[in-house]
Amino acid sequence: MALSRTTFKTLFGIPRVIYRQPLSFPSTSPSSCILSTRGAYERDYRRPGQAPDTRWPWQKIRFDFSKGVEGIRKHFGLLKDEFVNRWTGPEGKPLINHMLEQTQVQWEFRGPESLNQWIVSSDQEIGGHSAAYIKTGRNNTTCFLYGMLCSTPPRDGETRYSGYCTMRSKQPLGSFDRKKHYDWSNFNTLHMRIRGDGRPWMVNISAETYFSHQRDDIYSYFLYTRGGPYWQDVKIPFSKFFLSSRGRIQDDQHALWLDKVNSIGFTLGDKADGPFQLEIDFIALCNDHAHTEEFAYELYKRNPEV
Amino acid sequence: MNPYVLTILLSSLGLGTTMTFASSHWLLAWMGLEINTLAIIPLMTQQHHPRAVEAATKYFLTQATAAAMILFAAATNAWMMGEWDINNLSHPMASSMMMAALALKIGLAPMHFWLPEVLQGLDLPTGLILSTWQKLAPLALIIQVAHTINPTMLTLLGLLSALVGGWGGLNQTQIRKILGYSSIAHMGWMIIISQYAPHLTLLTLTMYLFMTSAAFLSLKMTSTTNIMTMTTMWSKAPMLASTMALTLLSLGGLPPLTGFMPKWLILQEMAKQQLPLTATIMAMAALLSLYFYLRLCYAMTLTISPNTTNATMPWRTYTTQSTITLALFTTTALGLLPMTPAIMTLLT
Repeated sequence: MALSRTTFKTLFGIPRVIYRQPLSFPSTSPSSCILSTRGAYERDYRRPGQAPDTRWPWQKIRFDFSKGVEGIRKHFGLLKDEFVNRWTGPEGKPLINHMLEQTQVQWEFRGPESLNQWIVSSDQEIGGHSAAYIKTGRNNTTCFLYGMLCSTPPRDGETRYSGYCTMRSKQPLGSFDRKKHYDWSNFNTLHMRIRGDGRPWMVNISAETYFSHQRDDIYSYFLYTRGGPYWQDVKIPFSKFFLSSRGRIQDDQHALWLDKVNSIGFTLGDKADGPFQLEIDFIALCNDHAHTEEFAYELYKRNPEV
Repeated sequence: MNPYVLTILLSSLGLGTTMTFASSHWLLAWMGLEINTLAIIPLMTQQHHPRAVEAATKYFLTQATAAAMILFAAATNAWMMGEWDINNLSHPMASSMMMAALALKIGLAPMHFWLPEVLQGLDLPTGLILSTWQKLAPLALIIQVAHTINPTMLTLLGLLSALVGGWGGLNQTQIRKILGYSSIAHMGWMIIISQYAPHLTLLTLTMYLFMTSAAFLSLKMTSTTNIMTMTTMWSKAPMLASTMALTLLSLGGLPPLTGFMPKWLILQEMAKQQLPLTATIMAMAALLSLYFYLRLCYAMTLTISPNTTNATMPWRTYTTQSTITLALFTTTALGLLPMTPAIMTLLT
């Protein structure tokens, strides 16, 4: 765990060195709320590039009435929306949308507040030396993920490989921080407009699971970027996504079910040290009627019993 | 699946239900229910998908809980009253617990929460077995013990199921979940009349089996699982789209289709039993269900999506699936209303 060290002078002028662990106590940043039921990592997530919060715990306390009121207003407002949206139709959209929609833009980066839905991390969590940052691109119309990849493994005696960075969307939350899911069953293709740097990225989609053994199940596919100054439209059918768990591709493959999707992410781990960048304009879904493939990989038994 | 294994599982399903039908002792009835639960679990997990395994797990947990409660209620009755006979469930606590357990078995509200999720995780043939065959044995037990159950409990279960089945299905886009809520609503209708006229429960069950089988088999023929796929069904199988629409309206209880028969007879019986308010609430709840069936019909047959191919009709090749059962169930789901007097004679 990262430690921060501050020195300060006591009343008697003797400098003291104190080691503090910044993430041990709940933070009181404006985005966290008294009613939050999410874990400590999600509450106290600090985007790389932001200065660490080195305040003392008693300085982080914000114990006032308005904080409670704003939490109540936010969550009860979301609850009211959930009831009222049912009048309009399933998931708040009229039925005609569900019948006719061919495309749906899911993430569109317009403005700095759109970056709040994304979590960026790198191998610094395990002691590596890569760095990844996220910012809005030119004219606040794109998302710009950049940083430096370093595949030197951390010297902890057990890690052999390192050098990865990732950007992942947060799971949508309903009222009272209940987890919601995306329903993409009307679509069969992922459509993104990106401008990369020629590196091979991976797109990861995580769906809702039931057992704790499936916690790290992720459906992935490759995203080869060109690197030129021109934008690149990438369409990946969902039938191409393969299942991996904790990074290991599974033998027993199955298709991704689109009715409960939690998050999407982009990962870079191509063992090439140096700077990287990926600019994303939008991430959308579309329904390609010409694509009738259900799953691209074998489903039949590989060793049938006789 | 290996044909021998499939034969064993399907015959176990048949054996379990038959044992429950033929039993007069609670232990044998419970055994039949357990055999049914265990036999359908491998059918549910045929596809190695985590959602199928999740559905099987949820199904197993709820059904095992219900079976344990059934055994506990029967044992309590045997201890208190000295009777293991199914028809002599006289202890009030035992009869209430038994009814709660059987309600959990068939997915009556308020013990219905597992049903839509489990149906959503299954493929259509297994969903059909779950919605039809697995309801037979518990309902046989309910019909036998209905006269001993607290009438208020039965009425509340029935009303709540009809309302929940109607409201819950309103904002769904997945058809399997819609059919799950439809099942809850129909079970409500069956339960509420079981204390006054058990033959009508049997009638409703039979008609429900025909209609649901027709619906599931039509969906299986066109591999349709959500509303959007339903909107393009007309160009691929126009006759099936029209009969599917009529099947859905039959599920909604519209005359002159079969589904009107049980609802009409139940409302008539409730009027005879001096229950106008209950009858009115049930009829209003049926309107909620009718709304989502009509919505499906609207999406399927009353609209033409602009997003199909340029040609008017795609080239329709012959299907390799067997169509005889679909034809049979569709005919019974649509055309049995004029035979109401004959059916009533058979059942009373």
